[in-house]
Amino acid sequence: MGKNILEIQNLTKYYGKIKGVENLSLTLKEGEIFGFIGPNGAGKSTTIRSIMNLINKTSGKVLIEDKEFHKEDVEIKENIGYLPSEIYLYDDLTVKEMLDYHERFYKKDIHKRRIELVEKLQLDEKKKIEDLSLGNLKKLGIILAFMHEPKILILDEPTSGLDPIMQNVFYDLLKEEKAKGNTIFYSTHILSEVSKICDRVGIIKDGKLIKVEKMEELSKKSLSLVTITSEQSKEIEKDLKVNIISEDANTIKFGNNLSDDELIKKLSKYTIDRILIEEATLEDMFLHYYQ
Amino acid sequence: MFKREMKINFKNFMIWTSILIGLFLVVFLVYPSIVNSENMQMMDEMMKIFPEEMLKAFNMDISSIDSAFGWLKTEGFVFVLLITGIYSGLLGSNILLKEESDKTIEYLNSVPVTRKKIVITKILCGILYITLMVVVIGIFNFIGLSLSGDFDRKSYILLSITPMLSSIVIFGVCIFLSTFTHKTKKTMGISLGIVFASYFLNIISEMGESTEFLKYISIFTLADIRNVIINVSINPWMVVLSVAITIAFMMLTIIRYDRKELV
Repeated sequence: MGKNILEIQNLTKYYGKIKGVENLSLTLKEGEIFGFIGPNGAGKSTTIRSIMNLINKTSGKVLIEDKEFHKEDVEIKENIGYLPSEIYLYDDLTVKEMLDYHERFYKKDIHKRRIELVEKLQLDEKKKIEDLSLGNLKKLGIILAFMHEPKILILDEPTSGLDPIMQNVFYDLLKEEKAKGNTIFYSTHILSEVSKICDRVGIIKDGKLIKVEKMEELSKKSLSLVTITSEQSKEIEKDLKVNIISEDANTIKFGNNLSDDELIKKLSKYTIDRILIEEATLEDMFLHYYQ
Repeated sequence: MFKREMKINFKNFMIWTSILIGLFLVVFLVYPSIVNSENMQMMDEMMKIFPEEMLKAFNMDISSIDSAFGWLKTEGFVFVLLITGIYSGLLGSNILLKEESDKTIEYLNSVPVTRKKIVITKILCGILYITLMVVVIGIFNFIGLSLSGDFDRKSYILLSITPMLSSIVIFGVCIFLSTFTHKTKKTMGISLGIVFASYFLNIISEMGESTEFLKYISIFTLADIRNVIINVSINPWMVVLSVAITIAFMMLTIIRYDRKELV
C-alpha cells in the first residue's frame, strides 16, 4: 500500500462531560476506500467534524499527508472534498449559481470536471436550491465534494436519499476516484455498502474504535446463524457457550464460529427436533462480533 | 464571497434605508406648510410647557424647529441615530451567525477559506452597508434641505456623519456577541435591547447632573449630536474612541470565532 494520506492520532472529544470519541487512532493509505461504520450516536459524525475542524478536539490530532491539519490550512482544504450527511446550501441560489460560487474558491480551473459530474448525475442547473428534492440536493452535494478533484474524500452517509440507479452511478464514481489513487473515508451505517465498495472497515461503538479489519478478512470469518428447536436447548446453550441472538420456548438462535462438521458432532448427543444453519450476512457478523 | 455577502444583505439595507427616506420625504413635503408664523407661535408656546431637561434631551434648547433643518437637528437625527443603530445591531447579530443558523457553515468551512477571511469579509460588508446607509440618507436630506431653504452646510455634513460613530460600535458589539451562540433568534432581541437601552441611558444622562454618569455606559454618547450643533465640529476623541472600540470588538470577534465550535 501507498503512503499515509489521512492519519488520526489519539483523537478524543468530550462535549462537557459527555464522551463523543475517545482515543481514536486510524491511518488511511493512498488509494483506499475506508468504511467507517457504527450505529447512530457511536461517534462517526464527531470524528468527521473533528477531522474537518468544525469542532475543537479535546486532544489528539489529524494529519493529512503527514502534516497536521489546522483550521487555517487552506492548501490542505484544497485537497479535501467533504460531503456532510445532511446538506444545507444557500436556498436563494440556483444550482448553477451555487456551482459558480464554489468554483471561485479554487485556484485551479475545475469547470470541466463540473460539467462531467452534472451530466453523470443528471442534475438540472437551472433549478433553485430551495426547490430541490432530497435526492437532487444530495447529488449537488456530491458534485460540490468531487468537482475540485480532491485527493481525499470525506463522505458522511453519501447515498441516503439517492435512488438505486443513482446509487450505482455513485459507486462507479467512487471506483473512478479509487483508480485515480484518491483516498475515501466512507462513513455509513449501511453494511451492505461497505462490503460492496470498501477495502477496509473500522467499527466504532460508544466513541471507541473497536476494530479495524480488511474487508476480505472479515468476509473470510466463518460465521453461521444456527436455529435449533430442542427440549434440551438450555443444555446446548451451556455446552456450546454460544451467544444467543433470540430465544423462544425450546427454540434458540445463535451465531456459530465452528465449522459445520464440528457443530454437528457436538450436537449429536442431543435430541434435536429441527435445525437450520444459515450463512451470516455482514450485518449479522457486525452484530455478533461487536454488539 | 464579498459579492455574495453584498447581494444577500441588499434587501434589508433597502428596507431600512427606505424607512428613513420615507420618513424624511414626509417631513420635507409637509414641513413647509407647518412652518408659518401662526403655527410657529403656537409651537413656541407649547414648547415652554416642557421642562428644560426634556428639551435638552431632544436638543430643543439649542435649536429651534422653525425650519426643516431645525427639525432635523432636534428630532430628525434622533430617528437617524436610532434607525441606523437598530439596522447596525441587527446586521451585526445576523451577518456572521446566519451561516451557522442556516447550517451552511458546514459547506463554507469545507472550502479553501480561513475563518479569519470569513469574519473579515462579513465585517467589511457590514461596515460598507452602514456607511452606505449614512451616505444615502445624508445625500437625500441634503437635497431635501437644499430645496427647503438655506441651511448651514458644514454643520449638516458633520451631523450626518455623526450616527456612523455609534452605529459601527453597535455593529462591532453585536457581531462579537453573536459568536457566543449558534442561533440568530437568540441574538436579535439582545441587539435591539442594547440599542434601546443605550439610547434611553443617553437621554436620561442628559436630564440632570445626578444621572450624568449614565452617559459613560451608553454607546450613543459617541454620537454627540449636541456638541456638533453647538460647536459645529465633531469631538476627535469620540472618533478615536469609536474606531478603537470597533476595532477591539472586531479583533475579539476574530479570536472568538477562530476558537468557536461551528456546529
